[in-house]
Amino acid sequence: MRPAASVLLLTTLTGFGYGLLAWLGVYAALGLLPATRWFAIGAIALALLLASFGLVSSTLHLGRKERAWRAFSQWRSSWLSREGVAAVLTYPIAIAFAAAIHRDGAGVMVRLLGAAAAAAALITVYCTSMIYASLKPIRQWHNAHTAPDYLIYAAFSGAVLLALLNAAVFGTPRVTAAVAVAAAAVALLAKRAYWRHIDAQTPLATLASAIGLPKGSEVKPLDAPHFTENYVLREMGFTIGRRHAVKLRRISLIVGFAAPLGLSLLATLSLLPLAATAAALACAALGLLTERWLFFAEATHVSALYYGRRI
Amino acid sequence: MTMLPKTVPGAKKLGLVIDLDTCVGCHACAVSCKEWNTGGEAGILPDYDKYGPEPDGVWFNRIHSYESSEGGACRTVNLPRSCLHCEDALCVTVCPTGASYKRAEDGIVLIDTDICIGCKLCSWACPYGARELDEEAGVMRKCTLCIDRIHNEDLPQAEREPACVATCPSRARHFGDLADPQSKVSQLVKQRGGVDLLAELGYRPTNKYLPPRKAAIPTGPREAPTRAASGIGGALLRLLDRALSR
Repeated sequence: MRPAASVLLLTTLTGFGYGLLAWLGVYAALGLLPATRWFAIGAIALALLLASFGLVSSTLHLGRKERAWRAFSQWRSSWLSREGVAAVLTYPIAIAFAAAIHRDGAGVMVRLLGAAAAAAALITVYCTSMIYASLKPIRQWHNAHTAPDYLIYAAFSGAVLLALLNAAVFGTPRVTAAVAVAAAAVALLAKRAYWRHIDAQTPLATLASAIGLPKGSEVKPLDAPHFTENYVLREMGFTIGRRHAVKLRRISLIVGFAAPLGLSLLATLSLLPLAATAAALACAALGLLTERWLFFAEATHVSALYYGRRI
Repeated sequence: MTMLPKTVPGAKKLGLVIDLDTCVGCHACAVSCKEWNTGGEAGILPDYDKYGPEPDGVWFNRIHSYESSEGGACRTVNLPRSCLHCEDALCVTVCPTGASYKRAEDGIVLIDTDICIGCKLCSWACPYGARELDEEAGVMRKCTLCIDRIHNEDLPQAEREPACVATCPSRARHFGDLADPQSKVSQLVKQRGGVDLLAELGYRPTNKYLPPRKAAIPTGPREAPTRAASGIGGALLRLLDRALSR
């Protein structure tokens, strides 16, 4: 599948935004938010800003951007529509959460609205993941890893970002760096498990079944319909990524997961907390973009079979 | 509305039956489809870089040719590929706007290009590669089963069939109601063992393909002698063959 920049930005930025919002909500629900009220309020604003950038960038690939509002209508069947609805509903909940912090600092309302904001953020990420997980012709997406992985990467992105915010404002990341270490470890294991899973998969169909011939028939493509590339091949027959997949996997694993893990560990031990958490965030962002690029580039679509491509 | 319609008893399931035994791969159906759907009420079906080195465009129907072999028998199989108007059409349910829909009354899958936002998700959901982006209008396009012909009362009855069917010179394409077991198309599917493409993906396509018949004459490797020469002449020929093959 062609990795469009708009979708890479959407999924990565919303991961950081909703991940951050989710952690703020969880800390609030547990009564662990720092007493400095404007810190949490500022962090919520940053989370919404990042998510908004992601959502706006996702509309860039639309053929008719001015009609984007129509995408809210089909939530009964479409995960893309549900994502839009969940994203919009998250705003008032997050704003109410921030307002409660402003008024009470900590209290029952802050705890409740924190839990609600965390839930709304995670539901939005889940809807995004299900857009991919529900597509039957793409074996690398239509599996049990996609949805939990998106939630894990969002939690990881948010944890790394929150550790930096804490280090920058309070001079120490406190417990948030330890949480980032744990989240990075889980994310690293999840990514490795995903790659093992897709490497062990068998193609969903054969060229023989694609053209209705009995199993075991040997079929070779002879003539394609046209001698130039077309929309289906450009969008779904993307093969460039697979050539560099092994190298890119290593880069994303080391830069995106292992490095933030080590750097967050340094911050946990109070060694250069600001520099370590800032570097962790930069690495995580770069690594996650690489990982997301691979998520698309390595995905194969059944329709490419008709053109004799490997799926 | 992107929910799939409930099956209404007695509702039609209009679709195509394509005979892979008689299709000669002439592309006439693709050309005729392009011609019909680039004019009239449907508007244009765009072409890009028309006279340049990389011509490209939207086609509802594309013809592939394959070579298939089964136990030494080799043959060409031509496969016209277009929307199969599936019963479990994932392209419909994933649509966020309601632009992609399946008609309850005849099962035809259509796109309302007035509300489509061109998000491409429906093309990702289709394993047959039947949906293409109209890069000029910014909306998705697909086969309409020539809905503006088959129900068009301004046309004589005989012409109320899809352009691809009307034009096929080898009568490899048939149009009809696949919900009616007595219809010509249903009978063809029954007699000839019509199949679903990519049946294992479970989209339950309405269009069926009639498999090519088994080749009566096995086509072995061309190099093998078809008649074994005998006697002294045969021995000499074999010797010569071996010498020349070195």
